[in-house]
Amino acid sequence: MTVILGYAATILIFFFTYNIFTLGLNIQFGYAGILNFTVITFMAVGGYVSAVLVMPHADTANGIYYILGLGLPWPIAALGGVLASGLLGLLIGQIALRRLRSDYLAIVTLATGTLLYGLAGNVTSMFDGWQGLFNVPQPFAGFRNWTPLGYSIFFVIMAGIIFGLLWLFANRLYKSPLGRVMRAVRDDQDVVEAFGKNTFRIRMTAMVIGCMYIGVGGVLTIAYITALSPAGWTTGETFVVWAALLVGGRANNLGAVVGSFLVAVVFNESTRYLPQMPSHPNLIPDIRYILIGLAVILTIWFRPQGVIPERKNTFYEVPLGKDVNAKPGQTSLEADLAKVGE
Amino acid sequence: MSLFFLTLGFGLVTASVLSLLSVGLSLQFGVTNFVNFAYGSYLSAGMLFTWTFATKLHFPFVIAALAGVIFTSLLAVIVNEIVFEPFSKRRKSIFYMLIVTFGLSLVLDSVLQIFYGVGFEKFPITQSEALHIGPFDFTVVQLWIIAVAILSMIVIHLLLTRTSLGKQMRAMSDNPELAKISGVDTRTVTRSTWALSGALAGLGGVVLALNTVVFQTTTGDDLLFVIFAAVILGGIGQTYGAMLGALVIGIVTEVSAVWVSSAYKQDVAFLILVVMLLVRPQGIIPAQGKA
Amino acid sequence: MTVTDTELVRQGSDRTTEYALQVSDLRKSFGGVAAVNGATFGIEKGTITGLIGPNGAGKSTVVNLISGSITPDSGSVKLNGEDITGLEPHEIGRKGLIRTFQISREYPEMTVLENLIVSAKDNPGEKLFNVMFRPKLGKRRDAELVQKALETLLTFGLYPLRNEYAANLSGGQKRLLELSRAVMAEPTVLLLDEPMAGVNPALIEKLGEHIVELNQKFGTTFVLVEHNLEIVEKICSEVVVVALGATLAVGTMAELRKNKAVVDAYLGGDVHERVGS
Repeated sequence: MTVILGYAATILIFFFTYNIFTLGLNIQFGYAGILNFTVITFMAVGGYVSAVLVMPHADTANGIYYILGLGLPWPIAALGGVLASGLLGLLIGQIALRRLRSDYLAIVTLATGTLLYGLAGNVTSMFDGWQGLFNVPQPFAGFRNWTPLGYSIFFVIMAGIIFGLLWLFANRLYKSPLGRVMRAVRDDQDVVEAFGKNTFRIRMTAMVIGCMYIGVGGVLTIAYITALSPAGWTTGETFVVWAALLVGGRANNLGAVVGSFLVAVVFNESTRYLPQMPSHPNLIPDIRYILIGLAVILTIWFRPQGVIPERKNTFYEVPLGKDVNAKPGQTSLEADLAKVGE
Repeated sequence: MSLFFLTLGFGLVTASVLSLLSVGLSLQFGVTNFVNFAYGSYLSAGMLFTWTFATKLHFPFVIAALAGVIFTSLLAVIVNEIVFEPFSKRRKSIFYMLIVTFGLSLVLDSVLQIFYGVGFEKFPITQSEALHIGPFDFTVVQLWIIAVAILSMIVIHLLLTRTSLGKQMRAMSDNPELAKISGVDTRTVTRSTWALSGALAGLGGVVLALNTVVFQTTTGDDLLFVIFAAVILGGIGQTYGAMLGALVIGIVTEVSAVWVSSAYKQDVAFLILVVMLLVRPQGIIPAQGKA
Repeated sequence: MTVTDTELVRQGSDRTTEYALQVSDLRKSFGGVAAVNGATFGIEKGTITGLIGPNGAGKSTVVNLISGSITPDSGSVKLNGEDITGLEPHEIGRKGLIRTFQISREYPEMTVLENLIVSAKDNPGEKLFNVMFRPKLGKRRDAELVQKALETLLTFGLYPLRNEYAANLSGGQKRLLELSRAVMAEPTVLLLDEPMAGVNPALIEKLGEHIVELNQKFGTTFVLVEHNLEIVEKICSEVVVVALGATLAVGTMAELRKNKAVVDAYLGGDVHERVGS
């Protein structure tokens, strides 16, 4: 029983963190049309930075190297990780969001991802190189004498609350005038610009908020599994988040949740236990990525709006009343109004 | 001083490799107007196909390389026919085209990895000793790489300026609407462009593998953004710009090893990309309406 | 206010003329080819002015230079007396000059009503701080804008389509949407780039009426880049002719028709047929 509950807790935590990644990408791509081709790098930055803030000084005597090691309380370290992620988004935005085609941003995000991946692996003094960070202290672990299961359940609740708050804010943003103008930028940036709105600022806002969301997911990931190495954030993992968003339905946060469930939980878990072939240890991961890639391509072909399409937004209207009929020179279309008024 | 010339020599070789690759990417971008994020996979395919022909089928190396290039070209044409062409017909949004190319790179890389694994491969050719040419030291293989690149650039130049196909490609690149109206067979030109782009990716992959000696399925993707840097530096969609960009990136990244560790070559390329995007995003030779 | 101004100009006294838009000696070349080569004209406040010229005369480039999409090599643009040369498009838009595009460019995946609401200026809800801490501000402004948008849609006959995705509108409806969207931004100058292109004659008539109505109701200055000379003659008090990237002539349609240079360069042989006089 304990094993099953522990497994369920782990799956739920993955579900929540993937939801957060997908919400972040949705704010970037679904709302504002920003192509972030290195989602997983922002996860890693959030995770790594929060880890080196929360961990004690590196034990260099035992060949473990990393920067900082400040031993800060987890909430502050977590905030640091999220801010670092947002800062990286800000830097990339500064380079690539200034009136450039969307290809450039995609290229710069991908390039940054490749670069940071190489740096994190090769520069051992930063985050312990290819070995990665491990033994990261878990949040509130010393709070009471947890049983392993008790702690997992606590973590599920914490992750759930964080996800809930982020979900509420993502929805508020979507419905706000800012979210609306982001979608307008997605649909036609030049027109928004011509209407006197600073599209650079608007896109940058979406970029940074999205990166901070993804950073939150990274912070939670490393806090739960207590370790992270470059092997855990290859380009393929970015695509898993893209698949979740596109299959679920972009520009609809409910779609993001459904997509995260389908891709990160159903698909990931069902392929996890496929038999390994000793002669081809990479066969299963490769097949997973092929399927993920195909899922995205086929979704764009057959159902670009995803399982749950973007909702149509309607507004509360004060009836225009008799004004409607008082207008002179009614057109045939306006004649329909008689029905609308009642 | 000798270190400078040594790195300058490396720079010329790297520039030669990059010139093939960036011209291949840039030509295709110019004609189809979207960036192909699966280009790195084509490049890997080129070297791996060649490796199969050379080591498994025991072809002489030049024949194996030729076969590798032809197969990569075919791959590019087939992918265009079954994926890009239908998508660009149905859905104009550039967002989706880019995501499709990105997804395709994941699929192709994984397929290559199933067949070739993750280990390092090596072409069955012997590395010759260095020859002294003026202040430079080149191996015979490196001289071959430079010769192949120069020859290819001349062929590309003649193709673009002397043949009807090349002129139509340029017309499509400059103004697709106008090209269509003036009777350019856009479908054939697009198909030929993909064939050429794939061939250059394959050839670039082979010479890259010759230069780095060992390679694996991800070698192509690792170089992808260096190619992007060269293409953007020259002016995206501009063939001659891509040649120039390759020359600059190739030499600067190698010569920078005089001052910084050669492990950071890629970072130097990234730095050039960033500075270029901040200062002159349209590239050295801007293409109208593409920045 | 504009009637007297216009009359004064007609009488040859431009001392009291107030310009909404002044373009002086604008130049822009692409790859050594001059697209705009010294265009100079002034557009009076509150008028409807046509900007005509043969294909390739540089009209579109002039529009792009005025609206800031591209920066001129030399020359200046003044909006209500203020130099706006080289400003970013959104800065120019904020100053009250709104432009439309040759091909109608709606926000396809947003509803008609949203297309309008999002086009209004200065919505406090577009600031992140307000979204986070003062969401009421945006909601209150939205409520106002919904009513204003509904009234505008009613005027333009798009009211029944308000909850339709803009992508699903017909070509003509999209043109009406563009114009009604522009109204929401309350521009002082509205620069319309071929607003009648690809529109049927009945709707051209209607669009023309809307433009005149907006001009009279709000005093909006209109600049119309247009090929349909019939509608230009009907609604424009003044017409600027551009040829080879420079201003060829300025005057009423009737005056231009007597101008040999204009007839040779643009109006040509079929002028009587097209203008219908």
